[in-house]
Amino acid sequence: MIVEAGQLALTFAFALSLLLSTVPLYGSFTANQRLLLLAKPLAFGLFIFSAVAMAALIYAFCTSDFTVINVAQNSSSTLPWYYQITASFGSHEGSMLLWVLMLCGWTALVAQFSKALPLLLQGRILGILGLISAGFIAFSLFMSNPFARSLPFYPVEGRDLNPLLQDFGMIMHPPTLYMGYVGFAVAFAFAIAALMGGRFDSVWARWVRPWALAAWLFLTLGIMLGSWWAYNELGWGGWWFWDPVENASFMPWLAGTALIHSLAVTEKRGTFKSWTVLLALSAFALSLVGAFLVRSGVLVSVHSFATDPGRGLYLLAFLLVVIGGSLLLYGSRMNSVRSQARYQLFSREMLLWGNNIFLLTACLIVFLGTLFPLFHKELGLGSISIGEPFFNQMFYYLTIPFALLLGLGPWVRWKQQQVMPLIRPLAMVAVAALIVSLGVLASMQSVQANLALLGMLLGAWVGISALAEVMLRLRQFGSISKGITKLNASHYGMTLAHIGFAVLVIGVAMTKTYTTERDVRMQQGDVATVAGYEFTLTEVYELNGPNYGGQAAELDVRKDGQFVTHLHAEKRFYRIQRTIMTESAVHARLSRDLYVSLGEELPGDAWALRIHVKSFVRWIWLGGVLMALGALLALCDKRYRRKQTQREPGAEHA
Amino acid sequence: MRKVLYYLPLFAFLALALFLLSGLFSDPRERDSASLNKALPEFALADVMQPDKIWTPSELKGETYLLNVWGTWCPTCNAELGYLTELRQQGVKIVGLYYELPRDPAFDAPFNLAELQKDVQQKLQQQGDPYQFNMLDIDRSLSLDLGVSGAPETFIVDADGIIRAHHIGDINPLVWRSKLAPIYQEWRKP
Repeated sequence: MIVEAGQLALTFAFALSLLLSTVPLYGSFTANQRLLLLAKPLAFGLFIFSAVAMAALIYAFCTSDFTVINVAQNSSSTLPWYYQITASFGSHEGSMLLWVLMLCGWTALVAQFSKALPLLLQGRILGILGLISAGFIAFSLFMSNPFARSLPFYPVEGRDLNPLLQDFGMIMHPPTLYMGYVGFAVAFAFAIAALMGGRFDSVWARWVRPWALAAWLFLTLGIMLGSWWAYNELGWGGWWFWDPVENASFMPWLAGTALIHSLAVTEKRGTFKSWTVLLALSAFALSLVGAFLVRSGVLVSVHSFATDPGRGLYLLAFLLVVIGGSLLLYGSRMNSVRSQARYQLFSREMLLWGNNIFLLTACLIVFLGTLFPLFHKELGLGSISIGEPFFNQMFYYLTIPFALLLGLGPWVRWKQQQVMPLIRPLAMVAVAALIVSLGVLASMQSVQANLALLGMLLGAWVGISALAEVMLRLRQFGSISKGITKLNASHYGMTLAHIGFAVLVIGVAMTKTYTTERDVRMQQGDVATVAGYEFTLTEVYELNGPNYGGQAAELDVRKDGQFVTHLHAEKRFYRIQRTIMTESAVHARLSRDLYVSLGEELPGDAWALRIHVKSFVRWIWLGGVLMALGALLALCDKRYRRKQTQREPGAEHA
Repeated sequence: MRKVLYYLPLFAFLALALFLLSGLFSDPRERDSASLNKALPEFALADVMQPDKIWTPSELKGETYLLNVWGTWCPTCNAELGYLTELRQQGVKIVGLYYELPRDPAFDAPFNLAELQKDVQQKLQQQGDPYQFNMLDIDRSLSLDLGVSGAPETFIVDADGIIRAHHIGDINPLVWRSKLAPIYQEWRKP
């Protein structure tokens, strides 16, 4: 019953999305205010029905209703209840429904917080979002229905959730990531609506900024959670693999990062218009292309979903309509838009332009690296593969100029900046960065490797420069204590995000340089020494979990005779799926992680263990968190809200 | 001119869509090596155990052999060592191309040969030693030229130094019998 109710709710949602994608848009071209006013209630209704559909699916999972194919294939009655909930979006069908729910959620949010927008624009934006929703709901309903039943023959037990997905990180990762992906639909809809109306000014940019920031915030968190999950769950101790699916999330992130910077220029200076619009279109276009790559089976990846050419064709047709249509509109409308503002060679505009160039080059590299094997093969040149070394090398070369510019950027004024006044403070920042870097490296056990030094230098340069710049701005208000409350939240947000980037760069460089790893054979009581830490294997015993068995190892870690910690690593065997999973033991500190994963049993009562001492690996995720926090701070900026509260009374009159 | 410029994103996207469309109808898992039926690229690599000894393609000519890319860090490679050793006992010549993962050539990280030799020796004693000898691809130059995407990968090289097969993944009895053995037999000089 409940499942049918879910199906019905999804059907209603489809009908509402069709109405939303036609009625307000028609109203906007015929200047029919009543039709335009329908957009908001339609958007709320769409969200409510898609939420009901998702709730029904979760209900089916929690009650282990194995007559539903999706439940039978991705859950089991022995699965703990919280994983039964997450299993509802662990499959292609379920995750598509989650995607739809998120999209409708953003649409409802836009409807709620768009009081300040002119009715015409509001109707168009919601109409575009409705159109995108309609496409995805139709895909969910007709091509990959999550509620499909297998009656009259159904299994008594489900096939269980893929053990890789049975992890806390997996509870958080997909919803956060999808919020980010889909969030760029809002900026996309704003761009299309503006293209229809031909209005691009700083007011438009101010409207888009918080939405782009919010989407970027979620995408940043989602990618970071994914990396953290891979580190804990895959047992290799790696945190980024340049897998096509990871790249699919990284490309919109790079375009989105370029977008939030380009929007700043459009808002403050009224220029870069065509560029900003193109970025707003491409951030979402790249999300869509990513979804296509993951779900169509065009590329091989560790986490692509089961494939079916029919689905791929549908998605491709959808891409053609949405992306092709928007780019066609862009081509035909953008000719008439001109930017008037003038600026000098050394100005913040130019530096942000540089930022955009580097980010888009990075995006292009990821894009080509991901798709080149496909191009190569389809051109009949045979199959090739592009791996980690290519990406690592490219990003190594890109990061250096990018970080140098980033340290400089916030100091430089709009329009024109004299070089002389900047020389003294920046020279001081550079000297400070040098001292800090050398100090940190000297404190490490071995001073080596230009990579660590380079990473530290770049990180310290960006971080110290960001801090010093904020101090300077605060002092301009008279005194620091006075300035602290006066400076915009978005300025703090920018500083925090830039420091986050610095932390990330340091983390990557230090982890790459100083990580020590060893594969060892150990019996109970054996001691292995890695990077000064003594790992003693105290016990290995049998495990008995709800839906898995396996072995667990207990280790004591000492350093210089002092007890450091106790580690518990597991090797699980999931009975229904018949797969082996490593649950690595991690002891985390800011300066290093102790990471142990239990390998296979060796002859003679011994075990293979992989022991890593990973220096500064936490900094990588800490950097991501700081960037996301920066975006959150920027979102809190009064500018975005003041505008709305001021206009609220006026909007209610209308 | 300026007009056309704004349509560029559209054209780029349409070209991409064309590729995606054709990609939909081909299996991404099915792949053939770009280096197939070509001569082994030039190289001069040191022996893992005796770094003074440098191997070049010409020295390897004269007999069909398997070139196996592996590393002690790679669990799948370790798993196939046993079966490869059986093949060696059946008279198949196997040459190892050692791929050192922890050391990334782009970053000039330090590298300890003695430790690596110890690792390799220990692993081969444990799991079986299928190799005539191992070449150390320290800069990954040969691996790159061959189009190696990871380990393990195995090439069949004939007596004239021409690559006749490229297999990605481990070699087990099934793979050997159904895929590699026929090619090996075909190119093996009587």
